[in-house]
Amino acid sequence: MRGKGQGLGPAACLLVAVFLAAGGALAGQSTASDKEQGDDAASFKEFTNRVQEYAELHRTVESNLPSLKSKEELPEVIAAHQQALARKIREARPHARPGDISTRGTREAFRHAVRSVFQGPQAANARATIKQGVPLKEIHLRVNQVYPDVDPYTTVPPSLLLKLPKLPDEVAYGVVGRDLVLLDVKADMVVDLIPEILPED
Amino acid sequence: MRRRVFLLLSVFTFLLVGLGADEFKFPLKSNSVRFAVIGDMGTGEPPQYEVGQRMVEARQGFPFDFVIMLGDNLYGGARPHDFEVKFEVPYRPLLDAGVKFYAALGNHDDPSESSYKFFNMDGESYYTFKKGNVRFFVLNSNYMDPKQTAWVETQLRDAGNSDWKICYFHHPLYSSAKFHGSSIELRQVLEPLFIKYGVDVVFAGHDHVYERVHPQHGIYYFTEGASGSLRAGNLGKSTITDKGFDADRSFMLIEIAGEEMYFQTTSRTGAIVDSGVIRRTVQTKAQ
Repeated sequence: MRGKGQGLGPAACLLVAVFLAAGGALAGQSTASDKEQGDDAASFKEFTNRVQEYAELHRTVESNLPSLKSKEELPEVIAAHQQALARKIREARPHARPGDISTRGTREAFRHAVRSVFQGPQAANARATIKQGVPLKEIHLRVNQVYPDVDPYTTVPPSLLLKLPKLPDEVAYGVVGRDLVLLDVKADMVVDLIPEILPED
Repeated sequence: MRRRVFLLLSVFTFLLVGLGADEFKFPLKSNSVRFAVIGDMGTGEPPQYEVGQRMVEARQGFPFDFVIMLGDNLYGGARPHDFEVKFEVPYRPLLDAGVKFYAALGNHDDPSESSYKFFNMDGESYYTFKKGNVRFFVLNSNYMDPKQTAWVETQLRDAGNSDWKICYFHHPLYSSAKFHGSSIELRQVLEPLFIKYGVDVVFAGHDHVYERVHPQHGIYYFTEGASGSLRAGNLGKSTITDKGFDADRSFMLIEIAGEEMYFQTTSRTGAIVDSGVIRRTVQTKAQ
């Protein structure tokens, strides 16, 4: 005779096993996700350090140029300053290549951030923002290249900017086709880029 | 009770009719704030020059002191020649008369424009300035990062409630144009702040049409993106449009006198295409 609550039938045992297995898997997922977040935070910290180094270089180079008075400049002076700044920065980092600032580990963190926006609840709105900002499809920029004069700037989705590391004032994110670009704001020049990180249309 | 409601509605309707375009006049009060609004103008093409000429003519009867620019100030580059043919020449009579221009950046504008002296941006891509009882907040809608959002909130909060609050930037939060339309993400970020801190009026461009949007949460939205460029026939059917004009270029004239904002929109040929009055505390009208 089997008493109440005494032992478990085969079906119940199977159920318990499934629950335990599922629980273990979930716990594993959570750990992996936590690890990913930790890795991303570390990667973004590294990125922030590198981009700060670039900003310091920018400031040093600019301090050696005639200063630009913000209030009363003429177009000729602005253009000359921008060109000189871009030239001097290029000279200071002649061998700059994609990935100098956004290293391989960093790029993975950026991919996670981009994915969280473009596969999340804001996806449709973020895509719409890019479309409204006149997306550039045919151009591919290079590091140390000045942003083409005639091309508009694609609007960077605010939801994406929320997920990316903050930048110093000298640098801004840009969207060019599927590339995420780091632009020097004053030199209007490409500092680094992460190719094909943004989703296709 | 039912009769009382009917009478009130009748009075309201009468006021709307009374502000029709034929009878619209700027009060030209002393100490009022008078300005013009242009957007998406920097083509350097004849229509931009013609709008500039209409502005000069309009200023003879409506002496405005400054112009706000809603972005796309210089299409196709920011070389010295661009500043000349796409800004200085078409608006030369206004510049010579001491009219000041306050620019916002559009998606076609080089960030270096912020250092150009006649755009009065003081080297910043977003900034604020005050004229009389009006506080203007000029935003960079190309790049609404958390830093700018925090700045907007601080500035709107610190401005208090006594002055008019007018925000302007390039991308419209509400637009019925078919080419771009409303910037939904930007609206999600900015509109809660505008509502919370009592913004009265918002101007934007980007869509190359003129549109006055039915007040949203008590805020008046205007799109004036046709002061140089034009997308003829681009306004779609929409329940949010109170008035639209997409047949030609246009610009706006504004006078703020006390708690009233008078506005008039004029086409490239000099036709009045919209006009009205916005009263600040009492939610009303526009023809």
